[in-house]
Amino acid sequence: MLDFHNEYVTMPDWLMKNENYTPLSDKDSFINKSIFSLLKVLTKIRMQSSYAEERNLVNVNFRVFFTFALIVLLSLSRNPVFVLIVITYLLLVCAFMPTIKMIQILRFSILAALFACIILLPAYLGGNAYSFIMIPSKVFATVMAVSILSSSARWDSIISELKRFYLPNILIFVLDITIKYIVMLGEFSLNMLYALKLRSVGKNRSKYSSLSGVAGTMFLKSREMSEEMYCAMECRGFTGEYHVYKKFNIRLADFFYILINVGIVFSFIIFG
Amino acid sequence: MHIPDNYLSPSTCAVLGAAMVPVWATAGKKVKEELPKAKMPMLGIGAAFSFLIMMFNIPLPGGSTGHAVGGTLLAILLGPYSACISLTVTLLIQALLFGDGGILAYGANCFNMAFVLPFLGYSIYRFIKDRIHSEKGEKLGIVLGSYLGINAAAFFAAVEFGIQPLLFRDSTGQPLYCPYPLSVSIPAMTIPHLIITGIVEAVFTLFIYIFIKKVSPGTIYQGEKQKTKAIYGFIMGFIFLTPLGLLATGTAWGEWNIHELKTILSGGNTSGFIPKGMANGFDFKSLLPDYSISGLPEITGYILSAVIGAAFCIILYKVISSLIKNKSSKEDL
Repeated sequence: MLDFHNEYVTMPDWLMKNENYTPLSDKDSFINKSIFSLLKVLTKIRMQSSYAEERNLVNVNFRVFFTFALIVLLSLSRNPVFVLIVITYLLLVCAFMPTIKMIQILRFSILAALFACIILLPAYLGGNAYSFIMIPSKVFATVMAVSILSSSARWDSIISELKRFYLPNILIFVLDITIKYIVMLGEFSLNMLYALKLRSVGKNRSKYSSLSGVAGTMFLKSREMSEEMYCAMECRGFTGEYHVYKKFNIRLADFFYILINVGIVFSFIIFG
Repeated sequence: MHIPDNYLSPSTCAVLGAAMVPVWATAGKKVKEELPKAKMPMLGIGAAFSFLIMMFNIPLPGGSTGHAVGGTLLAILLGPYSACISLTVTLLIQALLFGDGGILAYGANCFNMAFVLPFLGYSIYRFIKDRIHSEKGEKLGIVLGSYLGINAAAFFAAVEFGIQPLLFRDSTGQPLYCPYPLSVSIPAMTIPHLIITGIVEAVFTLFIYIFIKKVSPGTIYQGEKQKTKAIYGFIMGFIFLTPLGLLATGTAWGEWNIHELKTILSGGNTSGFIPKGMANGFDFKSLLPDYSISGLPEITGYILSAVIGAAFCIILYKVISSLIKNKSSKEDL
């Protein structure tokens, strides 16, 4: 009879050995960078769609209109005094915004202005002081104006305002889908990039072609999504036409906003 | 390559924006014809795709990374007209909501990246593909198309920058917008695109195309064989280059009027005389004297003259070709 109690089960030798596997280091900064830039876009869209439209704020259509007008006037102006007036006004508006948004706007505008300074440095050294002062300060003001608009109004309301500017239905339809699908496709490809990063242990030579595979899959997925979306649209009876139903009434804040902006237009006429 | 505001003059932006209107109209019409209604959402999703493609960083030699634009890729996958609309939307979102590229410069950015880039890239791709009927030919077309497409877009951006100091100066002669002339802007823009960005774009486009062709070949746009309408292309090109004509201060050689003739240099001395026959000869008063329309600024007048001239050329060309057609069809009968 076999004595089971005396028999030991031994572990195989290879399991007992110490393994010294150190994965070869590999450069994957481009995947990290891709992940970061995708995350940045997604956070920006999510952040701005998460906050509800503040009630006491100025009507979006005035803001869209005057922001465009301001950009045109800035571009036409040749007087540093006018640019300074506009910057002062924008900084004031910025100062009354929530801190996180304010820092974001300022950081973005300062970076754009610094970039302009670097580009124009050779011209300054060549004796062109006008461009060196005017262009970066105009860039600063323009970028700030656009950032204030895009971070204080919900994007869907900006797009619906474009309808008032007689943009064709098809363009508004496409714009609307684009923003929604940047989020959906972005999340989809973000997951693929995570997967690529997790599955690449040690040196992965085919990482580069995998990246184009991720992009290719994103395209195929987008095709699929577009067909599904059309079916969904049809089911819900959407014909691709947009109507603006919002009521148009002027409040006190609107009145002040218009007054300030008319003042800016006047200062443009005075200073040029 | 996104041009921010204040580097280009508002009038340059307006001209390029106006140039995009017929392009958008044609693209919209073509898309409606080509794309069944069921595929309309593809335009928006294509725009989202082209937006996200720019987020993909690709390693470059030397440790840094760069990103592709994917204009030619979109044109190959969706067709050039859909690509034009998708890129237009992408650029609008970037300018309006992400602050990437100017609002006023939107027309200029669209001209470079939603018109020149996809259409030129696609034409080169089709031109090679239709002539070399093999896989190698197709790949060669993709590489050359995407490489040349993005370089042409960079070149156009450089020309737009470069003409600013020549056209727009204040009374003291200081340039009002981008201060660098063509001799600086063209190499500054094109060299990095020729040696880095162009290669990134070509390699990325080729890899993605190969992947999609392997996985799902049915999804790629099947355009009809290209009809070469080079003549329209040339005419368009010349209209946009006409402001360059303003840069040459002199009158074209041989086109002197009688007063200029007097001051023409001959062998280092001014000639100082007007040939007799010319002095009393017939003075032709054209409808658009000196290509400028009275009451309009010189540049606007110049461009309007160019457009009118081009329109006239096209009308003439069409009339003549229809006459020839009629004649040959009568002969056939």
